[in-house]
Amino acid sequence: MKIHPRYYPAIIIAAYVVFLLLGILLGFGPERGGEGHGRGALMQLACLTLESLA
Amino acid sequence: MNAATREKPFSLAKSRRTIQWLVVIGTIVLGLRHIMPGEASRGGSFDSFCAFGGIETLLPYLFSGHTLKSTNLLNFSVLLGTLGVSLVAGRAFCGWLCPLGAMQDFITDWTRNISGEARHIRGKESKSLLPLRLPASIDRPLRYAKYLVLALVLFASLYAAFPPLREFCPVRAFFGLKMTTLLWLTLVVFLAGSTLVERFWCKYFCPLGATLAIFNKISPVRLVADSHRCNNCGRCDIECSMGIEDVPGKLSDPECIRCLECLETCTRDNALALRVLKT
Ligand code: SF4
Ligand code: SF4
Ligand code: SF4
Repeated sequence: MKIHPRYYPAIIIAAYVVFLLLGILLGFGPERGGEGHGRGALMQLACLTLESLA
Repeated sequence: MNAATREKPFSLAKSRRTIQWLVVIGTIVLGLRHIMPGEASRGGSFDSFCAFGGIETLLPYLFSGHTLKSTNLLNFSVLLGTLGVSLVAGRAFCGWLCPLGAMQDFITDWTRNISGEARHIRGKESKSLLPLRLPASIDRPLRYAKYLVLALVLFASLYAAFPPLREFCPVRAFFGLKMTTLLWLTLVVFLAGSTLVERFWCKYFCPLGATLAIFNKISPVRLVADSHRCNNCGRCDIECSMGIEDVPGKLSDPECIRCLECLETCTRDNALALRVLKT
């Protein structure tokens, strides 16, 4: 399928915003304190799943 | 329709420059925020808005559960946004959304202006003295340096307290507004390099570009050439800031930053087109 170049900027900006928001929704957001944080929600979920499998 | 009401033709190059300026202004705002006190307690330092910071802090986070100092979890979201663009459209982040890529494009424009080209004519070899194109014998091997930088940074991140590239990062040098001796040195090298060679940092040293390069092979939104319509005029090669030779034959080259300057330059209908997969 051919895409008109006019839509290209919108496609890449939309992709950036969607994936950025996805990351924030998964728990990788700015947190108070600024640095050195422990595991986020997704990582916690992955760790719990791995632990329950083991 | 008369001439007064005729719709202006869409210019990819102008849209790209507008977006690049907006990105640069946004990064300057982040830099100003960086020099105000207490930024870390207001959602993270300058470094935490960096996509490459997500790569620098990934291994320490996976192994120890903690991000490096000056980064935080936001780095992973910014990285995910960047990878998302790449997953959809290859290295379009480099061509359109990276503040450092934008600065290099601006420097090239300014350099051309002051070194002999009052107005650039698209598709015509520039008359300006600078920037130079390095001979292939130097250019080709040097392009692999960015993969080495990426490997070194990943290795160093396992032992570092701060992101390993932090003191040599051109983004911090340009926009961070908190200068150290090493950052001044980085700025001077970056400015000199970008004046001499177009997209100097992107071509040879950027580890984020090295990370994104693979996506050019797999992204569904891609440039496609029609060999029946292309007459090999070479206009697209002239306009390619990444110095790709034989653009129509190398549209999924890892060096392509999906800026679409070639598409904008090509005068043959549909010789180059933007497509989803090759359909
Ligand atoms: S190669 Fe690096 S500096 Fe260049 S545009 Fe891409 S991410 Fe930015
Ligand atoms: S793609 Fe267009 S600009 Fe490039 S060589 Fe073919 S006809 Fe010329
Ligand atoms: S091949 Fe075209 S899209 Fe890729 S970097 Fe060169 S000019 Fe830009």
